[in-house]
Amino acid sequence: MTTKTWNLFWGSNFVRAPLQNGVGRYVQQLQRITFKFCKTHGGSKGMREYIEKELIGFARENPGVVVYVKPRRHRSPCLKAEYLNGGEEYISTHVNTCEDIVKWVEYLRGRSGYPVERLRKYHHTDYPSIQGPWTPWIHRHPGINIKEYPCEELSAVQPTEISATQKLLELYEQQKQQQEGVGSTTS
Amino acid sequence: MSAARRVQQWATFGRMWYLYDGKWQNPLESADKIVPYLDGSHKPIFHPLNDSGDHVVVINSRDIALPGDEWEKRVYFHHTGYAGGATWTLAWQLHEADPTMIIRKTVYNKLSKNLLRRGRLARLHIFPDDKVPDSILKNVSAQMRQLRPVPRRLDHYPQEELENFPKIFDWPKDHVIN
Repeated sequence: MTTKTWNLFWGSNFVRAPLQNGVGRYVQQLQRITFKFCKTHGGSKGMREYIEKELIGFARENPGVVVYVKPRRHRSPCLKAEYLNGGEEYISTHVNTCEDIVKWVEYLRGRSGYPVERLRKYHHTDYPSIQGPWTPWIHRHPGINIKEYPCEELSAVQPTEISATQKLLELYEQQKQQQEGVGSTTS
Repeated sequence: MSAARRVQQWATFGRMWYLYDGKWQNPLESADKIVPYLDGSHKPIFHPLNDSGDHVVVINSRDIALPGDEWEKRVYFHHTGYAGGATWTLAWQLHEADPTMIIRKTVYNKLSKNLLRRGRLARLHIFPDDKVPDSILKNVSAQMRQLRPVPRRLDHYPQEELENFPKIFDWPKDHVIN
């Protein structure tokens, strides 16, 4: 599948949280969860078991979530979750066991309500760089701004070792200094 | 986007103009140095999808130095497309005809082979001497270092420096050096 086809249907996004949720405080994003099931059908057996055993505990632990229980005859069970940002999610729980439904409810409770998309990056920061983004002028000598171009000084190769001519001149200078020193001590 | 962020964006993605002096430089080695500047891979923000190549202005391309006997042995091939339209031009002949061509062809050969190649080459400005139009020179804000030291001929030294150079002995008055 090409990226274009993928984006046509599923899209992609960066990691995000509604209003920086979880930084300093947490606001429950799940607002309402509806348990739809049948009282007689076998496909709803796990759902009926969940409602008997787990639902009261879930509602008690999550006072911010409205829990609806909606029996309907001869239709397969499902979970419908509605979120603070207007997002909705529907999950079919046909022939799921009680343990599966516990996991699905936990999944819906922790969601932000944004659609599930491919993440282009698995990390996000509001402060990408403390030092500031790179520019071409970073670690450059500011003197190059006021130079006249073309500039021989900036262009010429920096010698890594002294040349034979340079060495000869240095030896000559040393010799001259020594002779001067000898001359001054004798006089 | 605030004004500061906007200016930051310009600073990061702004195109630089580099000057390169081709005098006494091997064009084959120089191309290796110039190519990363043209395609932007010398920048830490480099990404194949972002257009971050810089401009490079090469001056003194007439004074480039090919190594060894390359001037006689290097051959540039061209075919007009017609039967019998093939020509083989020696490097020295090509250089006589157009002193910018050897550098341009060398850089073109070393650029990565994709659709961006021509556009990147268009950011390479070559001049046979050091006369660059002001419209181009005013953009230049940095200079690339040469790869080889420019040799200095004896008649390039000032007379004073030659006279003061240490000598073991003086030539006789009637000795003819040249």
